[in-house]
Amino acid sequence: MIEVGTELPALTVTFRREDLVRYAGASGDFNPIHWSDRMAAALGLPGVIAHGMLTMASAVRVVTDWISDPADLLEYGVRFTKPVVVPDDDKGVNVTFSAKVDKVTDGKAEIDITAVAGEEKVLGRARAVVRVR
Amino acid sequence: MTIDATMVGRSYAAAESYQVGREKIREFAAAIGDPNPAYTGADAVAPPTFAFMLGSRALEQLLNDEELGLRLDRIVHGAQKFSYTRPIKAGDDIAATATITTVRKAGDVEVIMYETALTTVDGEPIATSTSTISHNRGES
Repeated sequence: MIEVGTELPALTVTFRREDLVRYAGASGDFNPIHWSDRMAAALGLPGVIAHGMLTMASAVRVVTDWISDPADLLEYGVRFTKPVVVPDDDKGVNVTFSAKVDKVTDGKAEIDITAVAGEEKVLGRARAVVRVR
Repeated sequence: MTIDATMVGRSYAAAESYQVGREKIREFAAAIGDPNPAYTGADAVAPPTFAFMLGSRALEQLLNDEELGLRLDRIVHGAQKFSYTRPIKAGDDIAATATITTVRKAGDVEVIMYETALTTVDGEPIATSTSTISHNRGES
């Protein structure tokens, strides 16, 4: 039974430069702001940043790990409010994702997702709608 | 060589459809570090954000429109939303059409929203992707 207020198990992922390179290759998104400090600086960014789509992909794992069938995901949207800066070292950056059921109506549950890197929220209005069976 | 509200409604269809392969789904799931068993095996479906990639060839057409004069290295992704009809699976042959829905200017920055319709080549709806991108035209 899915109820309003239910908290989904949280997930912490680490992004290192090599993860960005791997994601660039797999997704075909070779925007240099995801691998070149020089090009990131030229655009006024604090450093090389993770692909928004990589952060978005990790965030929804909190939901898809929780529902038994990914086909039950009906809608998913985020705003990329703060860049996730990925340092050029072995440690990388940790991003922690958590989620809570906000609404349950007509066989659907609306879930709010929170993504935090360091002290900062990096996604805004991150929300998934799933079918409730 | 600029973009303004008169360009709202312009549509860009990917020149070729996207043939989804099982290995590509596996590679993508590995790249996002997601071990969900739904993304491997004979009946594998693609992770939800895989849908963004299928629209990238339509986006390429949009970026190639010389009248808009956009440059990939000046673009930052602002927001992204998907509405799914069904998961993407290996063997799907997907067509993508991107349509500019909103253009807003703030100084050198242009905020562009575009919607991408993903269907099979036979016309079966798969998903709709709504993207907001910021393009910085300022010299630096």
